[in-house]
Amino acid sequence: MNRVMYIKAATCISPQHSYDAEMFLAPPVSSDTGRLYVLDQDYRKYISPVAIRRMSRLLKMSITAGMQCLADANVQPDAIITGTGRGSVSDMEHFLHDMIEFKEEALNPTYFIQSTYNSVNGWLALQTKCTSYNQTYVHRGLSLELALLDAQLTLSEVDGTQNVLVGGFDEMTDYYHFVKNKVGYWKQEQINSLELLKHNDTTGTIGGEGSSFFVLSNDNDNDNATTAITAIQTLHKPTVEELQTAVLSLLTKNGLTANDIDVLLSGMNGNSGFKAFNDAMANMLPGSAIAAFKHLCGDFDTATGFGLWLANYMIAKQTLPELAIIKQGTSKAIKHILLFNQTIAGDASLMLLEQSL
Amino acid sequence: MEDFKVTLKQQIIDSLNLQGMKPEEIDDNAPLFGEGLGLDSIDSLELMVLLERNYGIKIEDAREGRKVLTSVQSMADYIQQNRKI
Repeated sequence: MNRVMYIKAATCISPQHSYDAEMFLAPPVSSDTGRLYVLDQDYRKYISPVAIRRMSRLLKMSITAGMQCLADANVQPDAIITGTGRGSVSDMEHFLHDMIEFKEEALNPTYFIQSTYNSVNGWLALQTKCTSYNQTYVHRGLSLELALLDAQLTLSEVDGTQNVLVGGFDEMTDYYHFVKNKVGYWKQEQINSLELLKHNDTTGTIGGEGSSFFVLSNDNDNDNATTAITAIQTLHKPTVEELQTAVLSLLTKNGLTANDIDVLLSGMNGNSGFKAFNDAMANMLPGSAIAAFKHLCGDFDTATGFGLWLANYMIAKQTLPELAIIKQGTSKAIKHILLFNQTIAGDASLMLLEQSL
Repeated sequence: MEDFKVTLKQQIIDSLNLQGMKPEEIDDNAPLFGEGLGLDSIDSLELMVLLERNYGIKIEDAREGRKVLTSVQSMADYIQQNRKI
């Protein structure tokens, strides 16, 4: 069974200039407020004026990222599979606020309709007239990973070439940031976001948001995909030893050794509680370059989407952006990347990416 | 009545988030749905919410609702005769 997925296109709307990959980190965006906001784009390109007036930021950025990704790949999707940790939080907050204020009567339909987790998928299906498989995974910090696993299964079971649109999206609202501050999600000291990883002796991280979409195919028919996802694994609150075992097992299953990994792209988030895991990963891959991404996009449930977009960028461009580098490696070429992420709750995911050209 | 219609138009603009539109750009007698403002079925629900929240008017008969939501003029007339707040 072929479980390799080729990335035919990748689009990311994030706090950095990532929508136009040629502008990535030129200049870098930073923040001293403990959170990073998405850089809004011209959303009217793919959304009609009648529809856009009702949409939250999350809907606008996700539909635009999804549609742009399909346009870049120049394909009609055979399935739409997404992951979101929280869905349309701002619409849900509006709706719940109105329920209290208007005593559960005379509630606006728009906020209710669009507060559902699958509203992005619904809009994308309508826009593309895609009536085939459509699924949204809502599993907190592993939502995107589960969407990718579903895409992997879907693509491995079909005959012939198929293209699946896979995405991850989450927004950060003021209220959500406030509530999560009370349970210790965020750093209490004021830091510049680009300095986040230097502050790994205290708990907490910085908030972020974003929307990432990928057209994945089971066949690199036109040789236009530079990157392939060869393996995905999720781990429920692993110990350091369990993580190490999982990494070794993943490499072995894919015929690789630690020396083959050119870059370890880590979702380290500056939280002192995860330092032992990141140190263990670095020790397991002594020759690999180490890069990180959460100081660029902030931490949120589907931040791995930004990481996956960045990994694809690194392989396609054969470059490590200076701002992402934690440690240089021994290899000049970037053929294999291990994308490692830990959620705030302590779950972990591993993704193996390979240069496909 | 003229002042009231301007107020109602502004409420419609705010409720439906008709960005960039001003009250004077909405014709009193132009149809709200299809031609004219080009509103859709979700907008009709939002307008029902507007009537209930701002004027205490609850329309439960769909046919009556269709008549009331024909234009700004028909809405204004109905509100003047039936408002509870």
